[in-house]
Amino acid sequence: MSKEFLGEFEELVLTMAGILQEEAYGNAIVSEIKQRVGRDVNLSAVHVTLYRLEDKGFVKSKMGGATNQRGGRRKRIFTVTNAGLAMLRNMKEARMDLWKLIPQLKMVIV
Amino acid sequence: MKENRLSLRFLRWFCPPALYEGIEGDLLEQFECDLKSSDHSEWSDDYKLRRAKRRLAWNVLKFFRLGIFLRNRFSNQLINTMMWGNYMKVAARNIQKRKFYSFINAFGLSIGLAFCMLITLYIQDEKEFDQFHANKNQIYRIEEKSFDTWRHDEADPYRKSAWIQTGLAPTLKEELPEVAAATRFNEGNRVIFRYGDKVFTESVAYVDKDFFTMFSFPLLQGSAERIFMDKLEVVITPAIATKYFGDEDPIGKTIEIDNNGKQSFTVTGIIEAPPAQSSLTYAILIPQENRNYYDRNMINWGNFGTPTFVQLRANADLTAFKTNLDKVIDKHMSAMLERWRKEATVPIPPDVKMLEYEFTVLPQIHLKKEVSWEKVSDPQYAFILGGIALLIMLIACINYISLSLTTSAARRVEVGVRKVVGAQRNQLLYQFSFESLLLAMSSLVIGFGLVLLFLPSFNEFTNKGIELTLPKALQLISIGLALTLITGLLAGSYPSWFLSRFKPALVLKGGFTSRLQAGFTKPLVVLQFALSAFLIICSVMMFRQMRFITTKDLGYNKEQILVIPTQSGWTEESDRVVEQFRTRAQQESQIVSVSGTSSSFSQGYSRYGFKVKGEQKSAYVYAADPNYISTLGIQLLEGRNFDPAIAADSDVVIVNEALVKDMKWTDPLNEYYNWREDSVGMGSRVIGVVKDYHFLSLEQNFEPMFLSMNKSSVGYLTTMLVKVGGDVSVGLERVKSIWKELYPDKPFDYTFMDQDVANQYASYKRWMSIMGLATGFAILISCLGLFGLAGINAVNRTKEIGIRKVMGADMQTIFILLNKQFIVLAVLAFAMAAPLSWWFITKWYMKDFTFQVPLSWDLFALSMGAGLLLALATVSYHAIKAALINPAETLKYE
Repeated sequence: MSKEFLGEFEELVLTMAGILQEEAYGNAIVSEIKQRVGRDVNLSAVHVTLYRLEDKGFVKSKMGGATNQRGGRRKRIFTVTNAGLAMLRNMKEARMDLWKLIPQLKMVIV
Repeated sequence: MKENRLSLRFLRWFCPPALYEGIEGDLLEQFECDLKSSDHSEWSDDYKLRRAKRRLAWNVLKFFRLGIFLRNRFSNQLINTMMWGNYMKVAARNIQKRKFYSFINAFGLSIGLAFCMLITLYIQDEKEFDQFHANKNQIYRIEEKSFDTWRHDEADPYRKSAWIQTGLAPTLKEELPEVAAATRFNEGNRVIFRYGDKVFTESVAYVDKDFFTMFSFPLLQGSAERIFMDKLEVVITPAIATKYFGDEDPIGKTIEIDNNGKQSFTVTGIIEAPPAQSSLTYAILIPQENRNYYDRNMINWGNFGTPTFVQLRANADLTAFKTNLDKVIDKHMSAMLERWRKEATVPIPPDVKMLEYEFTVLPQIHLKKEVSWEKVSDPQYAFILGGIALLIMLIACINYISLSLTTSAARRVEVGVRKVVGAQRNQLLYQFSFESLLLAMSSLVIGFGLVLLFLPSFNEFTNKGIELTLPKALQLISIGLALTLITGLLAGSYPSWFLSRFKPALVLKGGFTSRLQAGFTKPLVVLQFALSAFLIICSVMMFRQMRFITTKDLGYNKEQILVIPTQSGWTEESDRVVEQFRTRAQQESQIVSVSGTSSSFSQGYSRYGFKVKGEQKSAYVYAADPNYISTLGIQLLEGRNFDPAIAADSDVVIVNEALVKDMKWTDPLNEYYNWREDSVGMGSRVIGVVKDYHFLSLEQNFEPMFLSMNKSSVGYLTTMLVKVGGDVSVGLERVKSIWKELYPDKPFDYTFMDQDVANQYASYKRWMSIMGLATGFAILISCLGLFGLAGINAVNRTKEIGIRKVMGADMQTIFILLNKQFIVLAVLAFAMAAPLSWWFITKWYMKDFTFQVPLSWDLFALSMGAGLLLALATVSYHAIKAALINPAETLKYE
C-alpha cells in the first residue's frame, strides 16, 4: 500500500463517488463537484480518473439499469471499495495529524 | 435523433467497446441537459440545439486521449525488461558452456554475413558507377544500331555498338539544337613517349575540347576553357607527370610523342586520374585531330570507329533528338545506305532501317551489357554473387537450427523450471530469440572484421576497386545489422518455438529418455549437404573446363614465345625492324627463330568481309612472313610455305581448313582467293593449307582465316614473335639487350604468348576462384555443422552403445551403426544436387565455350565420392570416440 497514493483530483473524484453512492456515474460526479466545490471539471477527465481508480482497486464499476433518458444508454455506476474507503480514511487521518502540528496562530489586532 | 451523429461515430471508433456505453450515455445526458437548459430564456431553440451539438462535439474530442483509447490495448506488456539481465546471463553461460557449438554457429554466421556484406558492397559499387558526374543525366553515349548482314541471326538481327563515325560528333554539335556539347573518346591507343632519356610506350585517349567541361573529372592545373586550343597539346594525370618530369612543374613542358611520326606536344593541363567507378579511363589525353587518318575518317561515313558522347541541353526533348538523329543519317548517309541495302547478300526487309542511332544516358552505360565497352558489366554477376552469399547464409542458418534443436535436450529442465515459476510461453520465446540475436550480433562483429580482411582479394576477384570509407562502413554496418536481425530471428524462431513448447510436468518428472526426436533436423541436413554438393560439382566442373582450356592443344606452340611490338607504327619501318632483328639474332644461340605478324593472338585481329560470286564471305587475316609457320609450329597440310625467294609470293595466301570448307573447295591449291574483290584479276593464289588452329579464344569455333604477305592490303609486321630456347629468363635478357643495342630510342615492351592466351580466360578464372572460395567455405561450414550434429548424436546414444558393447558388439558394428544414417543423408543430398548443378553449369557457364570439356559421369562420381569421404571423415571422429568408451563408464549410473 505504501506505494499507492492519490492525487488531489483523484481524491476529489473518489470522495464524490463515496458521497453519491448508488448514483455515482460520470455526469453525476461532474455536477456534484460543480455544486459542492464550485469547480468546473471536464467529463472526460472524470472518466479517465475513475478508470484509473478502478485499475488501482479503489472503486469498482457495474452497468446500471436502462432508462428513457440518455438515449436509452445505461449508466456505469462506480462504487467505492473497502480499499478505496480505507485509502480515503488514511488520507484524511494523515492530513489531520499534519494539521494538528501546525501552531494555531491567532489573529492579533493591534 | 437530434444529437451529432458524426461525433458519436468518432467516439465509437476510438473508444474501447467496454467503456463505450457508459461514456456515450453521459455525453447524451449532458446533451439533453444543454438542450433543456433554462438559464438563458432569451436563446432560441434553434440556437440551443446548435450550442448543444457544439458542446457535444467538443466533449467527444476531449475524450480522445491516451487514457481512453489506449485502455485495455497494451495493458499487460509481456516484454518484461526486468528479465533481460537474467536472459543475458543465461545466454552468456550457455555460449560458454558449449564453446564448440557456439564457435560453429558464430563461425558459419560470420562467414555468411561477411559474404553478404561483400556482395552488398559489390552491388552498391555497380550502382554508383559514373554517378559522380554533375551532368550525368544530360550526357548520352551515341550508339549504332544496324542490320547485321554478317551474323544472320534471325532472333536478333541487329548489331549494337558504341563505335560510330568520326565525323558524327562535330556534325551533331553543329546541326542539332539539342546538343550543347560533344566529345569523342578513343582510348587505349599505344604510342611512344619521349622526354629526355625517358622512353616508354603509353596508352593515350583521343578526346575533344568539350571533354573537360562535360565530365566532372577535376582539372588540377590548366583551365577547361583554354585547353586544346591547339592540336599539339597534351593533358596528363599526376602519375604520368611524376613519371616523366619528377618534381618539376609539368605545365608548358614539351614532350615528344611518336604515333606514326614524331611530334612535340605541350603539356597544358593536369587532370585527376579517373576513379575506379568510371566507365571512362585514361591516363593521357590528346586532341582527337591527332589520330591516324583523321581527315580521311572525318569524311568517310562508312567507317565506324569512334565512341561519341553528347551533352544535351537541360530541357531537350529526347523524341525530338531521336528524330533529328534520323535526319542526320538521311542527310549524310542515305546514298551509301541505299547502296549497302542493294549489295547486301541477305535480303533486308524494306521496313528495316539499315542504320539507326540510339543513345544511353551515362549512368546506365555500365550495366548495358549488349553494347560492349571496356568496363561494361553483366547485372547477372550480381545475382550469382548474391546467390552464393545466400547459399552460405542458408547453410550457416541450418547449422544454427539443427544444433540448437539437438542441444535442446539439455535445456529442457531450464524451460520446465522457468515455466513452473511462472514464465509465459511468450517470455520463453523472447528469451531464446534474444540468445540467437546475441550470437548473431557477435557474428556480425567477426563478419565485419572478415570483410576488412577479405576486401583486397575480393577486389581482385571481381576486378573492382572498392574502398571502405567511413560513410560506406557505417552504411555497411547498418545493412549488416538489419541482416543480422533478420537471420538471428529467422534462425532462432524455430528452435525457440520448439523449446518453449515443452510441457513442464513431463520435463520435470524426469522420466524422459535422453534422446530427442527432432525429425526436422534430417531434411535440414539433407538440404545443407545438397547445397554444398551443388557448389562442389559446380566448382569441379569449372575447374575441369579451365584445365581443359589451358591444356588443350591449340594447334600451335605458344610456349617460350616473346611477343614484342616493333614500336614503328604501320609503316615499312616495322618490317625492317623484324628483318634487322632476325639478322642480328642469328648470331645468338638462345634465340630459336624470329617472325613478324600484324597482331599476336588475343591482341586484336583483322577481319575482312567481301563478296565472292555474289556471296557474302568473311575471313580473319594475319600478316605473316616466311618464318611465321615454323616459329609457331603450325602444321602445313598441303602446299608450301611462303618463300622469300619467290617475288610473286607477296600476293599469295595460305588458308586454313575452315576457309577451304567455307569456300567449298575440293582442290584448294588450284584455287584463287579473291578477297580484295578484284575485278581484273582472279585474286590471290592459294599456295598452302594449314591445319585449323585456335587463333581465337576457345569461346569461338574455327573461323575462316588466311595468312598473307601483302603489305599494302594486309598491313605491316607490327608485332615480332621471338622464340627463345632453353631458360626463358636468360633468353629474355638476351633479347632485351639486343633490342637496346639496335633501338636505344624505342621502348622494349614484351609479353609472353602463353600468358596472353591465358589472359583471354581471366574472367572465367576469376569466377572459378570465387566459386572455389565459396565452395570451400560452404563445405567448411556444413562439415562443422555435421561434426556438431554427429557429436550430439553420439552423445544421445551413449547408453545404447554401452549396452550394445556389453552384449558383444565390436567396434566396427558400432562405427557402421553411427555412420549409416549420415551416409544415407549424404547420398540423398547428392542425388538432389547433381541434376541441379548440371542444369546450372550447362545453362550459365558452359554455353560461353564452343570447345567444352565433356560432362561425364565420373565428374559426378568423383564429386560425390569426395563429398562422402569428407562427410565420413567428419562424423567418424565422434563415432570412434563413442565406440571406444568403456561401457562401464556409461552404464554405471543406471
